[in-house]
Amino acid sequence: MSAPTQFELIVFITTLVILALAYSLVFTWNWPLKNGPGFFLGVEVPAGFYEGPGRSWLKGYRAMLVALYLILAAFFGACFAFGRSDLAPLCGFWALLYTATILAFSAWTRHKLGRNPPVRPVAVALETRRLGDYISWPMEALMVVVIALCWWLELHHASHKEWLNMLTMTWLALGLLPGKILLARSSYPLPVDRTEEHYRYQDAMRRNSVRMWNSIAWFFVIVLAGVALRDTWTPARTVPGLRWLLLSVPLVVWAYVIVQAFRRMRLATTLGRDLLPPGSWTTPFRRAPWIGVGENCGLWGNRHYLIWFAIWFGGILAIILYSQFR
Amino acid sequence: MFLTLQANDKRPLYQQITDGIKALIAGGNLSEGVALPSVRQVAGDLGVNLNTVAAAYRQLQDEGFVTVRHGAGAVIASRTSRPVDGAELYQPLRTALTQLVLSGLSGREIEETVRQELALLQQKGDAR
Repeated sequence: MSAPTQFELIVFITTLVILALAYSLVFTWNWPLKNGPGFFLGVEVPAGFYEGPGRSWLKGYRAMLVALYLILAAFFGACFAFGRSDLAPLCGFWALLYTATILAFSAWTRHKLGRNPPVRPVAVALETRRLGDYISWPMEALMVVVIALCWWLELHHASHKEWLNMLTMTWLALGLLPGKILLARSSYPLPVDRTEEHYRYQDAMRRNSVRMWNSIAWFFVIVLAGVALRDTWTPARTVPGLRWLLLSVPLVVWAYVIVQAFRRMRLATTLGRDLLPPGSWTTPFRRAPWIGVGENCGLWGNRHYLIWFAIWFGGILAIILYSQFR
Repeated sequence: MFLTLQANDKRPLYQQITDGIKALIAGGNLSEGVALPSVRQVAGDLGVNLNTVAAAYRQLQDEGFVTVRHGAGAVIASRTSRPVDGAELYQPLRTALTQLVLSGLSGREIEETVRQELALLQQKGDAR
C-alpha cells in the first residue's frame, strides 16, 4: 500500500466536504419553517404569512442559500480547472462567509419581522445545573496532558521544530474550553406552556453542542499529536501504513464532528418542532435572545460569548498573520 | 420543578421569586433538603441582576425556609416559617381580604375563593 499523494487526499476530502454540504443544503432548505407556519426563522409571524409576504421571505432565504453554495461550487471548479487543487483547503474560509451571511440574514429578519416580540410570562427551572454535568473535567485534564506530551516531544526530540503549527492547534483546542463553559451556562427564558418539554429540549441542545465542541477540540489535539509524531518519529514519515493511519484518524474524528452537527440539526427539527422558538418572545425582565439560524442557545446575544469568540478567533488570525509575515 | 413569573405582576421581582418559592414549599413541591439552583443560574435564566435573586434567597433565609451554606448553595430547610407574631402573619391576609371586599365580592364568595385557593395549594402538593 503506497502513501496517498497530496492530490488524492485533497480529492478525497473535497468529496466528503461536498457530500456533507449537499446534505446540509437539503436540511436547511426549509429551516425557517422548522417551528411551523406560525414562525419564520424563530420569529413569530401572523397567520397567513406564507400566503403573502412570507413567500418572498422564503424565496429570499433560499436564494441566499443557493448563492452561497454557488460561490463554493465556483471556487472548487476553478481550483480543479486551473490545476490548483492545493488551494482547495481554502474553502474553510467559505464557512466564515456562510456563517456571517446567515447571521446577517437572521438579524435582518429579526429587525424587519420581529422587532416587538410579544411579552409572555416566564418559568425558571429550580433544577441545579453544574458545569460538571456537561463538561468532563478528567477528559479536559487528559487533553492538557496529551498536549503537554506533544510539546515535550516536539521541543526535545524534533529535528525540525514546527512550533507555529503546534501553537495553532494548542490555541484552537484549549481555547475552546472557555467557550464550552459559556455554552454549558447558556440559557434562554422558558415559556409557561409545556415548560418541561422546553426545558428538556434546551438541555438536549446544550448537551449536544458541548459534545460537538469536545469532538472539535479532540480533532485539534489529534492533529497536534500527528504533527509531533511526524516530526519526532521517523517511521511516521517513511512507513506508508503509518502515514495513512496518521491521516485517517483526524479524518474519522472530523467525520464524527460532522455527524454530531447533523444530529444537532435533526434534534432541533424533531424535538423543537412544536415548541416556542426562544427568540420569538420576550419576558418582562429579559429581551428575546437573538438566535441565529441553527443556533439554539442564544449564544450570539451573549456578551461574554462574543468577547470569548473575538479573543479565540483573533488569536488564530494573529498566529496565521505572524506565520505569513515574519 | 418550575417557578412561574407573570408578565403583569406589579410586585418587585425579588418578592415574586420569594413568594413563588414559598408557594412551591407550601404545596409540597419543594421538600426539606432539596437544593435550590445557584443565584447565578437563576439570575442568568431570568436575565436579571444577581442581587435581585440574592435578595429573594436572603429573605427566604431570614424567614427560615432556606439555609445558605458557603459552597453548598441554598437548601430548603423547613416547610414552616420561623415563629412570627400574629400581627405580622395576618397582615397580608387582612390586606388581601380588604382588597376582595373592596372589589365587591360578598362574604360567601370570598369564603369560597379562599377555600378554592387552599384546595389548589393542597392539590399541587398531593399531585407531586
